[in-house]
Amino acid sequence: MTAGDRIGLRGGPRVDMALLAAIVAITALGVANLYSAVSTYVTTKPALADSHISQIYWIGAGIAVGAGIAAVDYRGLERFAYAFWVGGIASLGIVLAFAPEVRGSRRWIPVGGFTFQPSEFMKVLVILALAKWLHEDPKTEPRTAVDLVPPLLLTAVPVAAVMAQPDLGTSLIYAVCAAAMLAMTRIHRWTVAAGAAVLAVSLPAAWTWLLRDYQRDRITSFLDPERFKKGEGWHAWQSRTAIGNGGLTGEGFLQGTQNQFGYLPDQFSDFPFAVFAEEWGLVGSVVLLGLYAFVCIWSIHVASQAKDRFGAAVSIGVGAMVFAHVVFNVGMAVGLLPVVGVTLPLFSYGGSSVLTMFAGFGLLMSVSMRR
Amino acid sequence: MSAVERSLDGPRGRWIRLRVGLLAGLLGLGLGLVVSSASTLMLEDGARWRELAELQRQRRLHVAPKRGTVRDRNGSALAVTVEVPSVSLDAIELLRGVQPAQVPARARTAANDIGRALSLEPAAVEKKILQKRRFAWLKRRITAEEAEAIRQLGARQRGAERVAGLAVEGEGRRYHPRRELAAPLLGFVAPDGEGKEGVEHALDDDLRGHPDQLRGLRDRSGRLLLSEGVEDERALAGHDVHLSIDQGIQFVAERELASAARTFEAKAASVVVVVPRTGEVLAMASWPGYNPNDYGESDIEARRERAVSEAFEPGSSMKIFTVAAGLAAGVVTPTQKLFCEKGTMAVDNVVIRDTHPAGWLALTDVLAVSSNICSAKIGLALGGDKLYETLRRFGFGDRTGVAIPGEASGTLRPRGRPWVQVETASAAFGQGVSVTNLQLAMAAAAIANGGELMEPILVTKVVTATGELVREATPAVRRRVVPRHVAALVAEMIVAVTEGHGTGVEAAVNGFRVAGKTATAQKIDPATGRYSLDRYVASFVGFVPAERPAFAIAVMVDEPMIDHAGGAVAAPIFRRVAEACLEWSGMVPRGTAKADPAELARMPDPAHAAHAALREASGAAPAVQVVAPAVAGGGPRVPDMTGWSVREAVRRTLELGAVPRVRGSGLLARTEPAPGQPFERGASLVLVFEPPT
Repeated sequence: MTAGDRIGLRGGPRVDMALLAAIVAITALGVANLYSAVSTYVTTKPALADSHISQIYWIGAGIAVGAGIAAVDYRGLERFAYAFWVGGIASLGIVLAFAPEVRGSRRWIPVGGFTFQPSEFMKVLVILALAKWLHEDPKTEPRTAVDLVPPLLLTAVPVAAVMAQPDLGTSLIYAVCAAAMLAMTRIHRWTVAAGAAVLAVSLPAAWTWLLRDYQRDRITSFLDPERFKKGEGWHAWQSRTAIGNGGLTGEGFLQGTQNQFGYLPDQFSDFPFAVFAEEWGLVGSVVLLGLYAFVCIWSIHVASQAKDRFGAAVSIGVGAMVFAHVVFNVGMAVGLLPVVGVTLPLFSYGGSSVLTMFAGFGLLMSVSMRR
Repeated sequence: MSAVERSLDGPRGRWIRLRVGLLAGLLGLGLGLVVSSASTLMLEDGARWRELAELQRQRRLHVAPKRGTVRDRNGSALAVTVEVPSVSLDAIELLRGVQPAQVPARARTAANDIGRALSLEPAAVEKKILQKRRFAWLKRRITAEEAEAIRQLGARQRGAERVAGLAVEGEGRRYHPRRELAAPLLGFVAPDGEGKEGVEHALDDDLRGHPDQLRGLRDRSGRLLLSEGVEDERALAGHDVHLSIDQGIQFVAERELASAARTFEAKAASVVVVVPRTGEVLAMASWPGYNPNDYGESDIEARRERAVSEAFEPGSSMKIFTVAAGLAAGVVTPTQKLFCEKGTMAVDNVVIRDTHPAGWLALTDVLAVSSNICSAKIGLALGGDKLYETLRRFGFGDRTGVAIPGEASGTLRPRGRPWVQVETASAAFGQGVSVTNLQLAMAAAAIANGGELMEPILVTKVVTATGELVREATPAVRRRVVPRHVAALVAEMIVAVTEGHGTGVEAAVNGFRVAGKTATAQKIDPATGRYSLDRYVASFVGFVPAERPAFAIAVMVDEPMIDHAGGAVAAPIFRRVAEACLEWSGMVPRGTAKADPAELARMPDPAHAAHAALREASGAAPAVQVVAPAVAGGGPRVPDMTGWSVREAVRRTLELGAVPRVRGSGLLARTEPAPGQPFERGASLVLVFEPPT
């Protein structure tokens, strides 16, 4: 079983055209949507007026990173996975120690004129580290709690570091990726049961001690949006208004009135889906969610055909990462989930997020090309 | 085949398929939930959300549409709405971007700034800010200085923090350019835009406009972006209401009423002037009046239009209608003589008395000396039902339906049953029944109009702000009351009242034959339930000229204290109002020489001049010109008023019948035309003032 099996006419790895097409489609829609989101009739934040242009530069950089990762054999990355993880944790430490506070949390560090968000890159680094552990773990019988201590530590340390920023959304992404990847392994049923019990007990505890006031407010306002629609729930309420305003076929590109007249807050970062849904309606939304769903399902398909456990685990991790972003972001936009700051892949404005997504897609492509 | 794929066949393969299925299932569940929520939002609840979005964008404007103007018959504005700025606050906007911990401090400083600018209590402003409403009035009807201070608060950048969320918007304020003129008739408008009293109330729906259509597209900060569907704001404005009132006659009526009421120390008074042929109300004056521009200071009693809202016992003026009824029914003939029982007559157990005891009297003299006894005899001869029916046909006991709220119907049968003998006898001379002054004027107008009772017209037409006619009143005969010859006979008979030894000689107008009847009715003392000996209602009702009546006028003075005879109190008011009407209409006195125009010009009658000035101001031709169409060299000349004050010069100019045009201030420097130059009455005289050096 060698790479020879996959050799095409020219020999060597073959580009996964289906995945590439889906990514290109999402990227193109994302840029168009961002353009609409920021070029509103009523300019609420003039500084962001040209952010779709910056976004295109970041996408260019992201494509370069993704293509680079896809070009090299992903197995070469396996060797450095733990080292990368340690580097990521170090950067999170730097964030906690030195990052300036913006809107009540420390997430960004300035590097040469740009600000980066290390917690974004950490998503990919957690996936790589967990994949390496899964790959190297020789055990075939169901794993007990003791066996799971290393992967849980690999997840819990970045979760804790990000919660301290505080950034609930990103830490949830790490947790979802880790849970999806660990689901590949056999785990003792008592361990699963105990884990569920610990989770059940820790949720109220987390509510009381771990969450900040504003995080609790967001969740209470989510539970009773009518009551809080003027205060904490304003964003979510406006997002739902815009989406509902879209109807079946939407109001048309650049025609979303709620967005155009500046009623939709954070339309470029937290609520790009509301912009999209108002303009393209339910039909457009289903198409967009279908594209994301395809990427997720495709990552499971790639995982099932991967050459090794590392590749399968990375594929599952990337798929879970995309899935978690999409469900959390759209879920909060439609009022299904409380507002946690999670981006919509390639739709939300932000360099770190774009680079991270393309790095993830690069990994997925790399595995897919070497099945 | 890869190692993983190869192992898909064994039990381990089943494991992997299970895991893949589990992951795919969770994935499908997550996305499915999201999609179903989105479709609920967009399809099932879509209409509701779209409505919310619509409401948010189209926040209603707080500027009410402009209220319509009330005009007199010549188009002069009697009540207009002018825009006065008001300040509103958007507290959300003011506190936007302020850290929660900083909110109280920010509210305090902003409240202090606003309080200083608007002379408001800072604590009250702070409370409004902390209520965090998107809209609240801070102060309505601000001055120009206050508006400027607010604009500076909203604009200033350095030095102090800008106060956001303040808006200065125009708000309509009702203004009566002629102040007290026709105030009880017109009514006033409350700050919320609702018409109160008078025409403002009766025609509120027409005047008010359509506030629910006035919407604009607004963004989150409340700025008006586009106005939707409204091309012309006038389309939303209220309709203009044109009244049949002539402000010149109204002015004279009010002036005479006030003067008489003060002279005779009366409690209240009213005058109604009607055109008999059409039923148009030319004037409807009520005393005491008030200034509707400052209605808050006025007595609520003064706001009523007494001519329609107050019913009183008419007394002798009812005899006109009793005689008309008798003649129409044939129970008396025009030449018949009636025996007046030498001053006393018993009906059942009641004794009726005459103030001027008489024996045999011709029907004309019965009216001229106002015999109660002979009137009672006519009434009794007719019978209660017949008299009642005829008086009803004259319009008594029924509301006229004129566009003024609170109209009284008056009462013919106060006990709600047919009259007994005594009641028939007293009703025949106007006791035990009550009427309104408007009813009296309309009934007299029916006699003047050949026996046909007209519908009173107060509102001649209603037009939209863009000039389209909404509706127009046309003269309408309510019913024929008595035959034409009976009306003519009665009209001729009551001319005697104002001639020779009649009770109403004070009502006679030089050069015209006046038909009318005085009345001096005792009022019922509410304490005793009997007729009072010192409280009277003095009235006079009649029309002029008697042979072809142009004006029917009813005058009522309530509780005059110095004198109480209708002939002494009410008749002179009738005369002066009648003179103003005749002059206004340009009627030439019969059998008298044409008034010398120069004489007229020198006549120091302020009413005369004021009337001309009012007419001139309204753009209509001055009435006086009809009397004196051309002025030759012998006409009035501009006097030398150099060095006079503004007030003196304007008064003198008005007295001369010219319209003053004031330029500058100080003392009069020169006039155009120059002193000594002839000028036409009604022409304008430019008065140039310069500060004294």
